Amino acid sequence: MTPATSRFIAYGFASVHDALAAESALASAGIAAVVIPSPRVLGELCGIALRVDPASARAAETALEVAGLPPRASAEIDDV
Amino acid sequence: MTEASVAGAPGPARSCVYLDHSATSWPKPPEVVDAVVNAMTACGANPGRGAYSMALAAARLVFESRRACADLLGVPDARDLAFVSGCTEACNLMLKGLLVPGDRVVVSSMEHNAVSRPLHVLSLGGVRVDIVQADATGTVHAGDVERAVRAHATRAVICQHASNVTGAIQPIGDIADIAHENGALMLVDGAQAAGHMNVDLAALDVDAYAASGHKGLLGPQGVGLLYLRPGLDVAELLQGGTGGGSSEEESQPQGRPERYEAGTPNTPGIAGLGAGARLWLAHREEWRAQEQRIFRELKEGVGTIPGVTVFGPASDEPCVPTLSLVSDHMDGDRIAFLLDRRYGIAVRSGLHCAPWAHRTIGTLETGAVRLGVGYGSTSDDVEAAIVALTELLA
Repeated sequence: MTPATSRFIAYGFASVHDALAAESALASAGIAAVVIPSPRVLGELCGIALRVDPASARAAETALEVAGLPPRASAEIDDV
Repeated sequence: MTEASVAGAPGPARSCVYLDHSATSWPKPPEVVDAVVNAMTACGANPGRGAYSMALAAARLVFESRRACADLLGVPDARDLAFVSGCTEACNLMLKGLLVPGDRVVVSSMEHNAVSRPLHVLSLGGVRVDIVQADATGTVHAGDVERAVRAHATRAVICQHASNVTGAIQPIGDIADIAHENGALMLVDGAQAAGHMNVDLAALDVDAYAASGHKGLLGPQGVGLLYLRPGLDVAELLQGGTGGGSSEEESQPQGRPERYEAGTPNTPGIAGLGAGARLWLAHREEWRAQEQRIFRELKEGVGTIPGVTVFGPASDEPCVPTLSLVSDHMDGDRIAFLLDRRYGIAVRSGLHCAPWAHRTIGTLETGAVRLGVGYGSTSDDVEAAIVALTELLA
């Protein structure tokens, strides 16, 4: 039997400052986000990214757009 | 008398009356000291380098400090505020990052060496530097700047916000309008202004503003700020690691603030500066009123001592809490030495790294004794200084 795979959305930003500002904007919008090391799939191996539940993705992207912090990259990733 | 209350801390072995706030604020508020210690202990990892808990805690210290400084200085987007090693680096960055051979700049005669020396280097490389004379109080007049700017094509007007010698506050808003009306940039050295007076950079409409972290803003030494107007392309002086994305790229990231913050930042200094900014945000009206009241007592008191000339705007005119004086009876170095050794009063004599300013007010040959009040200063401090100076000089 194959175990259920959970997934998450990772958002990458132009800088650490932007990532933390985005975390703050999401918190203000009531959206949970976890800071994670930037996944390789986002196109960079340094820095930090935000991890958000896929169910919150649309709301998160709207909140980030409103805050003037659109993600530089995003990807849906299998959790491990 | 201000007590050096941190047990075991380096510094004066005894209490002193500290009136050298124009050089650096002392003592630092306990909140600032605590923030520095916290940044070196619980949050001692490298900010922005890694996503483990302590690295994130350090990154958040930097992030929150930047936000607090932006709030205090009226900067709408905190990314436009870069942390640097001090106001001197900020001045070097805004001048050397913008000016190229063939440019002409108009600069006030009250500038500190943090401005005049980089300009000297730039002038050797072909930047023309024209100086606008301030008056004997150290005040720059907007009309004089306007005449100078209109005389020739001008790339930038450079002026301090407040004098480190006389305390004069310059009309930066008016001068910025003149600069922009004539197609020039407005670059400001705010070393003596930030903290001691309201600084609203959005309202001032300047293009670049350098600030010291350890003077009026109450942070530790070794940290400062540079504000750059959104969209202003200023070449960075340093290239290196920035922690965030695009590490694989050969060129320095162009985004702010990373472009101007290569290398591991001074996290303890930044955390302390952030604590200072938060204190100012909470207490600015009350603390500034107290500073100004105590400074008026000082200025009026020393102004009555026979044979003493006090430099700066009149007592009822706005100024930051700094003045300089000379005596007919004693050289400034002797006054400063005796105030320290006999009375435990800390002041600074000489040219205060501002020979242009001393030339302007006529004290280039003699120097002057500078007194400045700030956080923690009391009426008793000022009274002690007036009594001591009267005994020495009357």
